[in-house]
Amino acid sequence: MPVWLATVALVLVAAFAAPNALGHTSWSYVLPQATILAIASLGQMLVVIQGGIDLSTPGVISAGGNLVVGVGAGSDHRLPLAILSALGVGLLVGLVNGVLVGLLRLNPLIVTLAVGQIVLAWSSKYSRDVVTNQPNVPNGLASWAAAKQFGISNTFWTGAALAILVALALRYTTVGRRFQAVGANPRAAWIAGLRVRTHVVFAYAAAGTLYAVAAVLLAGVSISIDPAFGSAYLLAPIAAVVIAGASLAGGLASATSTWIAALALTLLTQMLVIMGLSAAMQYVVFGGAIIAGMVVSGDRVAALLGRSMRPAKPPPREASAQT
Amino acid sequence: MRSKHQVAALLFSAVALALVAAGSGLAGGSHSKASTASGPSGWVAKSSATVGSGGGFGETYSAPAATLTHALFRSNLLPANKTARNIALGSLGRSTKTVNYALALKCWKNNGCSTGTGGKLTVAYVEGFGENTYRQMSKMEFILEALTYPKIGKIIYRSAHSDLNQAIADFKSMIAQHVSAIVTYPDFGDAMVPVFQQATKAGIPVSTYAWGYVSGPGSNYTTVVGEDTCRLGKTFAYVMNTQVKSGNIAFLGGFPGNPLSLGWQKCEQKALNSSIKIVANDPTNWDPSKVQGIVSGILAKNPDLKGVSYEDALFMSQGGYAAYKAANIPYQGVFTYRTDEAGMGCLADKLKDPKLKIFYYSAGNAQIRVALTADMMKLAGAKIPSTIVFPIQLQNQATRDMCLKGYPPTASGTSLIPLSLLHQMYP
Repeated sequence: MPVWLATVALVLVAAFAAPNALGHTSWSYVLPQATILAIASLGQMLVVIQGGIDLSTPGVISAGGNLVVGVGAGSDHRLPLAILSALGVGLLVGLVNGVLVGLLRLNPLIVTLAVGQIVLAWSSKYSRDVVTNQPNVPNGLASWAAAKQFGISNTFWTGAALAILVALALRYTTVGRRFQAVGANPRAAWIAGLRVRTHVVFAYAAAGTLYAVAAVLLAGVSISIDPAFGSAYLLAPIAAVVIAGASLAGGLASATSTWIAALALTLLTQMLVIMGLSAAMQYVVFGGAIIAGMVVSGDRVAALLGRSMRPAKPPPREASAQT
Repeated sequence: MRSKHQVAALLFSAVALALVAAGSGLAGGSHSKASTASGPSGWVAKSSATVGSGGGFGETYSAPAATLTHALFRSNLLPANKTARNIALGSLGRSTKTVNYALALKCWKNNGCSTGTGGKLTVAYVEGFGENTYRQMSKMEFILEALTYPKIGKIIYRSAHSDLNQAIADFKSMIAQHVSAIVTYPDFGDAMVPVFQQATKAGIPVSTYAWGYVSGPGSNYTTVVGEDTCRLGKTFAYVMNTQVKSGNIAFLGGFPGNPLSLGWQKCEQKALNSSIKIVANDPTNWDPSKVQGIVSGILAKNPDLKGVSYEDALFMSQGGYAAYKAANIPYQGVFTYRTDEAGMGCLADKLKDPKLKIFYYSAGNAQIRVALTADMMKLAGAKIPSTIVFPIQLQNQATRDMCLKGYPPTASGTSLIPLSLLHQMYP
């Protein structure tokens, strides 16, 4: 709930400080970009639920985008194969992360950073060898990403559907509830007979696949690929997950709140550009907003309100008897 | 148990499919050709006309007129200072010297190599950021130029991946290795001055290209090679004053505080008509994704934007174009660029919109050759001017198409890298 309130507050601030940020032209950029960040953040959220962290996101997005262009080779006929290859690589990287973290018990921070760097290096080489000569995304994907249903881009509807699916799966399916139970208390889950390690592997594999979906959509809205493709997705998905109220120590998290946090971050970035702040000032405001978001996220505000509204405790009986 | 096996089989099938598809894409995208074993180190034509005469310090001060025209648009757009002009002619004249393309390619891919000449000198190209095609092409130009010097036995390349501390460490490493000469683009501006001074004190000539101006050329370091960026800004302003006349325009730059962007921006700003308003001046870190976000923000506030001045034509054909398309605003206006990547020209040809007016200069990849020659002449005892400045002549896309046949979209048409070698770099 706090992230929803914070987003409403951000919209109100934008309405006064940078009204153009809420105009049609701005939303036509913000919604697709927020959706892509939200999908990557959903992947990160699954990992965070299991008490992990995933720094391979830029590597997977870079590899996925380059595969869409490289395998697609500018042809719509090759587009399905290109998308499948991107998703496959996302899944593969996620599985590797999952096995190293879940089964071999290696530190997720170091492992995912290292795996991400390896994937990024491969992606750079692939980009240089295959993509530079023809960096354009197949027209079918670019046109689809730009097309709108009910005045809103297809990218947004895809992301919204994915977020709803993830939210429903986590909340209403046995698999989802077990997944959350393992994240909330792995020891209790293990005692209850749940396979903790398998769930960790699954979290990373699903995250890798979601990053690849984000890569495909980002390629579509970017129209062409560059060597820095995906580099902005190292910390932003983590920020979105944390602002949405998840604890990096693991436990429950909300898919819809994560989606809203991604929207808030993207809107904030757009607002700062529109306000014409200097680059240095943009970093300051953006960093400050993330800290503020973290402070009001989770149950902190509710707990504070609860404490302040709770009636004062009566004095201990013994003490009153003595007096 | 059975369902678990099915899930595992599904996962591994997906992975196998990914690997097959990636492999297929790699094979499909690599139009490998039989590589030419050797050839001229730069772009040369059949025409035998040359510009310049004389020589000294190991150089011949003449170059093919066609090579100069290819790199500079006109063969007479050479530095006004006589010594600077001789360095430029000596450097660009080396285009005719034969080099081993296989070795150049290997050196480019491996970020350095031994040249096999047994030469005693080691030269290094050290930069703060080297991950885009522009920098990678500059690296190849540097290698090709270095291979024309039998005295050079080793070539080193380092990129700091946008990390200032790494850039300083790389530079110190080169000084510790006692390399013979360094060429660089100072992405972090004056923050590099202390290490430039250290290198100079150690007797290592340091030259920058693409107007990588930091304080104290001639004293803190050997020389800065580039076009007159202030003149470039004034020329951009002339185009805006005559084509836009009045209305809103935007400036885009590279990394915050980089000398190239600062150079043209301050001079364009001063030379603009009072009826033209600069509504935004944003750094893009030369990242197309960032360009898309920034242009989108500018368009949201100024849908009537009439012009943009920026260094990089390519990024405006990628992120910039994507932002216009997403905003459903026609890609029209007056655009002045410092570079000439083929992709921008090809996009303009595809759009065929007379309201899209593009004026551009050269990416100037070949300037790095001049920086290396300046270093080599310094080692030979020549007195090098503190600046080597090329005059400006802006080109009009309507009269000179930058979509050159055979060039990858990301490549500058004024590069001196021979086309056959460029195709091996980017198959």
